[in-house]
Amino acid sequence: MSSSSTALRELQRDLENKANDLSKLQKDIAKNHQVRKKYTIQLGENELVLKELDLLKEDANVYKLIGPVLVKQDLAEANANVRKRIEYISAELKRLDGSLQDLEEKQHSKREAILKVQQRIQSHQAGKAKA
Amino acid sequence: MGKPEVKGTVTPLSSMFPPEEVQKAAKLVEEKLSEKRNEMSQLKEFIADNTSLINLVQKLPDELHHDIMVPFGKAAFFPGRLIHTNEFLVLLGESYYADRTAKQTVDILKRRGKSLMSKVDALKAEMQDLKAEASFFDSTASEVAEDLVEIREYEEDNSNQSESQSGPTELESPTLAETDHKMDSKMGASKDDEYARLMSRLEELEKEELAAENGEIDEDEDEDEDEDANATETDGDENELTEAAFHRKKDEGYSSLDHGQRFSESQPTRQLQQSKGKEAMREEISNKYNHQDLTNQFSCTGLTAEPLTKGEMSCGRIIHQDKMLNPSVNASVPSENVSLNQNIHDSSRNEKPVQTSKSKFDSSKAFTGSIVEHTENLEKKTPGQNTTPSESSGSKPSKPVSRFKMQRK
Repeated sequence: MSSSSTALRELQRDLENKANDLSKLQKDIAKNHQVRKKYTIQLGENELVLKELDLLKEDANVYKLIGPVLVKQDLAEANANVRKRIEYISAELKRLDGSLQDLEEKQHSKREAILKVQQRIQSHQAGKAKA
Repeated sequence: MGKPEVKGTVTPLSSMFPPEEVQKAAKLVEEKLSEKRNEMSQLKEFIADNTSLINLVQKLPDELHHDIMVPFGKAAFFPGRLIHTNEFLVLLGESYYADRTAKQTVDILKRRGKSLMSKVDALKAEMQDLKAEASFFDSTASEVAEDLVEIREYEEDNSNQSESQSGPTELESPTLAETDHKMDSKMGASKDDEYARLMSRLEELEKEELAAENGEIDEDEDEDEDEDANATETDGDENELTEAAFHRKKDEGYSSLDHGQRFSESQPTRQLQQSKGKEAMREEISNKYNHQDLTNQFSCTGLTAEPLTKGEMSCGRIIHQDKMLNPSVNASVPSENVSLNQNIHDSSRNEKPVQTSKSKFDSSKAFTGSIVEHTENLEKKTPGQNTTPSESSGSKPSKPVSRFKMQRK
């Protein structure tokens, strides 16, 4: 009798742990989504800037706001910088996609594990009730 | 046509769609809809600001310098002058600025306005989808509340099979109208065997319709065929309704058999010539055609839309579909030859006006088949459909928060 109840308690502890892990995973997934959103917005903006820069004449003045300072920049340099930034953001997005996949898989497997533990608990309780 | 065997199941709708869940789903959709409305109002604000800015930028170079009150700190102004009125430092985005003239600035602003408008359009489309979903849920909820029952009957007609779902007809027709809209957007590729089935069904029904119509005009009623039609149709009420509508809409004689025969022998090119220029109908008809595919084995009365699409070949999409249809039509035609021959003398009268009437006929035709909803499919499809557009445009609606909006604000 006591052995089965300790086993039951262990199972319940196990269930709690798994539930905590699952909630952590879900938070990670939510954060991932947020960061992805931010990056996507930035990517869109940078592409717009690139388009406008392409429309500028060669000798047009381009400035960059760095803190409180507006610094004059070369058009070619500005173009290069914006392109590099676009590449960087796309790479980041891809990386985030990969990690999102991982997290989702882990979440899925955690859910299944939780389900199994729950089933075991139920069978234990049913066994106890019978006995 | 052999004697149809009828097997059936009767399931109350409330067991298929539990009412609480339907209400929950409806609420979720409502929330999403209100979110979209907020975004829409924000975008509209942006657009208004943009246009007022364009006006200002266009007015400034009118003077060499403007006398203004210059803001100074948080709560003070001093009188000053605005000079170099044609030079603007424009924010391009991501903390990049460029010197531009007034005209160039106006161009930049107009381009921004255009992108905003396209976002508004995308948002409107999403909202429409959501609204359709919401109305669908509402109607399902009301149906469930009224304890509607889904009746399914399976007819075995040689190789044909058809299902039908019936409830109070008046409730079905509004939902049909809604599902029409949804089916329009949701229809994907169509399947050949459905075509075959629908085609054979169509041939039978057209024969009946034609006979009935000829009966009206020539007093040559073919009651057996009508009875057959009604017997094989399981929702008789709807049939009569739609058949009546069908007859109302038929202005001139229409020989389905002409279509069938021509279709089996000839190329679409002939029909191309006949019905050029009916672009609007084309879309509508192809959509109705799609309905038939989606309503998957449902019994349809007067599936005249199908031969219609054969006639409306001006659209690439329909041509594509028709190409898929062709083989199945050829397959089904032999089985229908008997019924075809029967009606040839009936339709000979109709052959003359057919040529000229085809286009007119097409415009007067509407899909009068009984579109019966397969609501589970729709439910599964609509959430699926809605998530994908929202994902794809997910970045866009959040963009309005971008730094394009006055940094100084």
